[in-house]
Amino acid sequence: MSKPRIAIFDFACCEGCQLQIVNLEEELLDLIDAVDVVEWREAMSEQSHEYDIAIIEGSITRPEDEKRIEVIRSRAKILIALGACATIGGVNKLKNNFDLADVKKCVYGKSADMPHLDTALTKALDEVVKVDYKIHGCPIDRKEFTYIVRSLLMGKTPDIPLYPVCVECKAKGNPCLWDEGQVCLGPIIRAGCGARCPSFGFRCFGCRGYVDNPNVNAAKDIIEKYGLTTDVLKSKMLLFGSMQEPTNA
Amino acid sequence: MTIKKISKDAFGKFVDGLIKQQKVMGPCAKGDRFEFEQLDSSSQLRLDYDVTLRPPNRKYFLPPVETLLTCEVGGGYQSVYDDTEFVLLGIHPYDLAALNQMDQIFSRDNYDTHYMKRRLAATIIACDVVTPSKDVFAASMGTATAEAGFDVLLTDIGDSYLMETGSPKGEKLIEKAQGAVDAAAGDLEKRKNIWKENQGRLSKHKLNCSSSYLPKLLEKAYSHPVWEEKAKTCFSCGSCNQVCPTCYCFNVQDDVSWDFTKGTRQRAWDGCLLDGFTKVAGEHEFRKKREDRFRHRLYRKGKYVPEKLGTKTPACVGCGRCVSACLPDIANPVNIYNRLIDDLGLE
Repeated sequence: MSKPRIAIFDFACCEGCQLQIVNLEEELLDLIDAVDVVEWREAMSEQSHEYDIAIIEGSITRPEDEKRIEVIRSRAKILIALGACATIGGVNKLKNNFDLADVKKCVYGKSADMPHLDTALTKALDEVVKVDYKIHGCPIDRKEFTYIVRSLLMGKTPDIPLYPVCVECKAKGNPCLWDEGQVCLGPIIRAGCGARCPSFGFRCFGCRGYVDNPNVNAAKDIIEKYGLTTDVLKSKMLLFGSMQEPTNA
Repeated sequence: MTIKKISKDAFGKFVDGLIKQQKVMGPCAKGDRFEFEQLDSSSQLRLDYDVTLRPPNRKYFLPPVETLLTCEVGGGYQSVYDDTEFVLLGIHPYDLAALNQMDQIFSRDNYDTHYMKRRLAATIIACDVVTPSKDVFAASMGTATAEAGFDVLLTDIGDSYLMETGSPKGEKLIEKAQGAVDAAAGDLEKRKNIWKENQGRLSKHKLNCSSSYLPKLLEKAYSHPVWEEKAKTCFSCGSCNQVCPTCYCFNVQDDVSWDFTKGTRQRAWDGCLLDGFTKVAGEHEFRKKREDRFRHRLYRKGKYVPEKLGTKTPACVGCGRCVSACLPDIANPVNIYNRLIDDLGLE
């Protein structure tokens, strides 16, 4: 059996999720033994148009990006979104809360009107092309990444949690951060990180995106119970949850 | 059965002696909360704890994640067991009731060797509650005090503990307790009063029927509007499941090595409130609605498990952890059962 060909591409991102792959260290050798990596700008010079699996980091922020991702999609049998920018738009979606002309001016100053600096509303990959699998997180979890890749190589659907972070937080025996006055997004954010931030005393910021069916009514209820306002909750969701269904916060 | 009295100082020395011989797990402070941890010294022990974050019976006998087996292409499989001897010290009567119930679940129909090996290697020192937690309702569930199921039962009577043995294992254990003397009639009287008081103190929520009536109550409650009403604000976060001492559902997952020649099988806590809990082959899901999953937990606790085991005790022991853990305040079993009693009446 020939090894599956994998290509790794990036769009608007910090490349931190690819760095997590590089940081697999010894396990990286196992990975490249199991697959044939044909293109990966961050780690090698070779390029290829022939691949079975495309792994994409980053979100889509320009019209030319849309064209490029469509071409990649047409060449790949399986397309995997890697990390929060690709799966939910990530921090890049903050931009969508503002007027684009103001955003450009703020970032590029006098050069804002140069044509090569043109920008559009940020989109997650699945707002442009069909995405087969999502590896969530900012950054991704290395163990989850390797588990998902191994599952796909075996032709098995990887088990990605449908349930929220509270499940993993409670299993770890963490006290609830809501009881300590923090506005933690754990109850509505997809698990799989092992409740990493709450385990160190930091509220969940929501980098893995909402669960498939978050209960917005319940969120409104606890806002009242803890004497908060909707604006406070929205502000906590802003970093990773901007302008997203189902809250559109 | 032996009942000894031991001063708190002497008890501390006894525990320090045990720690030298085997692992001892006991309640320790974790911030302003409590959690069972392995003790390095008796000074960490907080037998005045109210309730622990995780139920000790699940933490130690059905851990959050465990490896069940490893396998190799051409090499068959090897089950992975842990039968290291240890002492579980300070488990409250309600958690003890949950432990005894779980022992039945894991030994009856399908004998679960992974669970039972750990269980048989353990010595259980229960402890009567000193400080009631804010949501405990063990009195309503008949678990405020313990009559059996322990190797040793401790009761704090002020400057000393009473130690009652409940098994030959317990007898053998307290032989090592230097300075323990036979309890006097007055000590037993004190203990009797504590038990009586605890029936009142461990009653922060009060069930308006006998707990043995719950199966009958639920027989006529399946279509009651309470399930949908409560589930409207349910996150389906499974916190109520995760902190429950009687929830025992688990999910099994396999993983393989990079060269696909070796594998491991693990099981991890699961919960019936979670989206996807009932998902089966072909993507079919038979409790897809939030309210169906919400109802299921209350039926497990009040009807299905007691009926399966043929016991009068429900599968809710009144620890109150779910009440405290539920952010939208909908998990309290007493509130729901009382609501059903109000609407459907007692027969």
